[in-house]
Amino acid sequence: MKKMIGLDKLPALWEQLSAEGPLYLPIEERGVVCFKPWYEGAVVRLDALNGVVPPKDIFLPREETYMRYQGGSQTLEIEAVSPGPDDKATLFGVHPCDLKAVEMLDRVYIDQEPGDSLYRRRRENATVVALACSSPDPFCFCNLFEVDPADAPGADIMAYLSEQSLYLETRTEKGETMLAKAESLISDAKDEPERPREVKTTDFGLYLEGLSDNLKERFDDPAWDNLYKSCLSCGVCTYVCPTCYCFDVEDFGHEGAGERFRCWDSCMFGHFTQMAGGHNPRPDRKERVRQRFLHKLQYYPQTYGEIACVGCGRCLRSCPVNLDIVQAVKALGGEAVEQR
Amino acid sequence: MNKDNPLLPQVATVLDITSETPDIKTLRVAGKDGLPFEFMPGQCAMLSIPPIGEAIFSITSSPTCRECLEFSIKEVGTVSSALHDLPPGAHIGIRGPYGNGFPVDDMKGKDLLFIGGGIGLAPLRSLIGYCFSNRDQFGHIDIVYGARSPADLIRKSEIKETWPAEPDTSVYLTVDAENPDWKENVGFVPAYVSELGFKPENKIAITCGPPIMIKFVLQALDKLGFKPEQVITTLEMRMKCGVGKCGRCNLGPVYVCKDGPVFSLAQLNELPAEY
Amino acid sequence: MAEKSLKEAEKIREIVGQDLLGGRIGLLLGWEKGHYWWQSRPLFAKNEADLEKLTWDSFCVINLSRYLLEELKEHGKVGVLVKGCDARAFNRLLQDNMVARDRVVLYGLPCPGMLDYGRLNEEAGGALISISESNGSVTLKTGTGEKSVERDQVLMKKCAECVYPDPVVYDQLLLSPQGKKEGVERFKSVEDLEELTPDERFAYWEGELSRCLRCYACRQVCPFCSCRECFVEQDNPRWQGRAYQPGENFMFHLVRAYHGTGRCIDCGECERACPVDIPLQELNRKLIKDINQLYGDYEAGVDAEADPPLLTYRPDDPAAFSEK
Repeated sequence: MKKMIGLDKLPALWEQLSAEGPLYLPIEERGVVCFKPWYEGAVVRLDALNGVVPPKDIFLPREETYMRYQGGSQTLEIEAVSPGPDDKATLFGVHPCDLKAVEMLDRVYIDQEPGDSLYRRRRENATVVALACSSPDPFCFCNLFEVDPADAPGADIMAYLSEQSLYLETRTEKGETMLAKAESLISDAKDEPERPREVKTTDFGLYLEGLSDNLKERFDDPAWDNLYKSCLSCGVCTYVCPTCYCFDVEDFGHEGAGERFRCWDSCMFGHFTQMAGGHNPRPDRKERVRQRFLHKLQYYPQTYGEIACVGCGRCLRSCPVNLDIVQAVKALGGEAVEQR
Repeated sequence: MNKDNPLLPQVATVLDITSETPDIKTLRVAGKDGLPFEFMPGQCAMLSIPPIGEAIFSITSSPTCRECLEFSIKEVGTVSSALHDLPPGAHIGIRGPYGNGFPVDDMKGKDLLFIGGGIGLAPLRSLIGYCFSNRDQFGHIDIVYGARSPADLIRKSEIKETWPAEPDTSVYLTVDAENPDWKENVGFVPAYVSELGFKPENKIAITCGPPIMIKFVLQALDKLGFKPEQVITTLEMRMKCGVGKCGRCNLGPVYVCKDGPVFSLAQLNELPAEY
Repeated sequence: MAEKSLKEAEKIREIVGQDLLGGRIGLLLGWEKGHYWWQSRPLFAKNEADLEKLTWDSFCVINLSRYLLEELKEHGKVGVLVKGCDARAFNRLLQDNMVARDRVVLYGLPCPGMLDYGRLNEEAGGALISISESNGSVTLKTGTGEKSVERDQVLMKKCAECVYPDPVVYDQLLLSPQGKKEGVERFKSVEDLEELTPDERFAYWEGELSRCLRCYACRQVCPFCSCRECFVEQDNPRWQGRAYQPGENFMFHLVRAYHGTGRCIDCGECERACPVDIPLQELNRKLIKDINQLYGDYEAGVDAEADPPLLTYRPDDPAAFSEK
């Protein structure tokens, strides 16, 4: 089913959709674009490329309370907190690379036993409207991972932006239900949407065939001794990465009452693996840089059959010292033969 | 494990706390109706005291003990020291069990050699207790256990009295340095294992202790002719979720909390040595 | 790239090459090109092949001095290319006793200011392909044509507000000095914030800090944040919680800023490193401004011999010491 809506009517659509539950859109605040719940007056930037922070935080929030406690040492009571079936959310304007990354998280948080009900509920309750990308920036390299910037297979609705309209192609029942609610604003598409064709992203000359298998023998490769040198041990790459999913658990409160939450954490931090007794299996930057890249390039693929990168380019854009996954792949023998 | 949310603990009561050594105490913990959950030897549980936090500990008691779970805990961090300071009857949060546990079925009909050092006896004791409760399923049992000094040995009455009296069982104790009250062996655990000269035939060795001890025990067992498939150990890493997601205990393609903590040496040889 | 900087790079390579290959230093910290013409990344040069990659252009923004903390553990003597900010960062580390002066060879590079890819793109109006520079102007080449802008218009914010482009400490100066920049209005935004009511100011910072991801890039890149263990990671007592809420955001950023009082060298690396563009330099500058007002003008990092105001005591200090 192909529908369209004039760009001038979008604010009315946002208002209508947000009445059903939080509507996450790429919103610009003080010059920074991130997915945020829509509010009246929000500056929606459907034209912006990937926001600084990927939309993974809608399903795996930066911080998520899952338990409340009260009572002292002899009267402890614990209560579960979790998203209910009515917590419906709409994710509007996510690009195909980011949606593919969410599907990679699905395997860890939904498919792999024991499943994570917090994540699963958020995911199941969400309707995803993906937006085709027609002009990727120089940081984008999703072509390498067979992402089609113009099509996201996992979307409930696929959207295409043209100069005057937004074309909406429903792919699932969830998508149809969503559009049915906004019937008055939407009309049948009279023509085919201008679908971006063969969108080319940056070609770094990488060759990934066999890389994961080869890396099994390269844990002690001298390449690691150079690669980590510039790393500052900050967490930028992991927090802006759409396929990173590590978390920490912490309590917030006092002896009588409080809550327990999980929040994003980063394998790049020295304290991540620091044990109470003082031993640290990954004590230095070298081990941590290796862990992060091997997790993307070898460990995840060994379990799930696919490299955990979608070429969104965020680590290329945000790392304060320009140490990124492309550099890592090149250093580890993933450069195409003619370039070597 | 909570079916809906594996991170969610249940409330449990600390029945009592006994001092084992200057820095190790044993907590007996019960849920509302006895055992908080069913488990197998070698599995772990997350204990928590809000708002101090959560930490993972191996279960020290055998699943055949039906009244409660036991945890022998060394004071090393904020959670363990808070647990040490609890009064009897205190409430804590508990969730689990986590991890794979020992491959008990593969051990049936075999002779078993337990090698422990210090607090490393904690996870072994669960399996040792299980074996004694199902005595006819296992062959001869050897237990080598050592610590820095006699005062640092845990479960003193069991290792000295109860276990040596079990049928077809030998217990060998050792401490690192001479001590006027110590009549048994003096020397490091790995050297004692070599000296005792165990035969690898139809035997499985299970070892747990400080990393440096494990390293040399593995060498000693290798020299005695044990194959990597016959040697089993349990790893200790920092863990937060217990269900293979939070990332701390990720080791190559495995998560120690879910796929471990029990590994054969053959399995460990396939993993990055980052533990 | 401008022909001038190519020539300069050649000269730098020649001079540091003599020292590195002659064994005077075991390692040279410099820059090499990244994937893009607008990115240069740290270079850890040990041999001739590494030196080939050494670059000097308008994108060598990353402060290299901090790498000394790690590299001096491995190498007896390390050479570093230092711009104005890098040299002040070195003085910071020196005053904090984190590095030994005689184990470092500083090659001074008077700095014309580094260019900002974002600003270049804005000026170009998209689809920027390359740039060229001559005599203080930058020509932007796009898919549709060319456009020239003043260099000052496309500088990184931290460079546009830089007062000391020349290295204040060096063993050898490799290029001609730029001269101290006069009339830089670096306290303008602080003064604007001071005009706000406390409630407005609180709301401003609550909003800005709400974007904080707690990635700690600001701390990791900072030359004054060289504590071996930061209060953030301390466990007992636990000062810093991980919750993403205003109290914890303020806790981190304010404690960090206070730790930098009289020590922040105003290099702006924290703000540059921040992935979500929190104006961190406004916090640091507020404290620099206050220090100047309370104790007289003091520029941290400019003179390693000058005593930092908060690390000295005088009987006539404007604020009394604790009298308890």
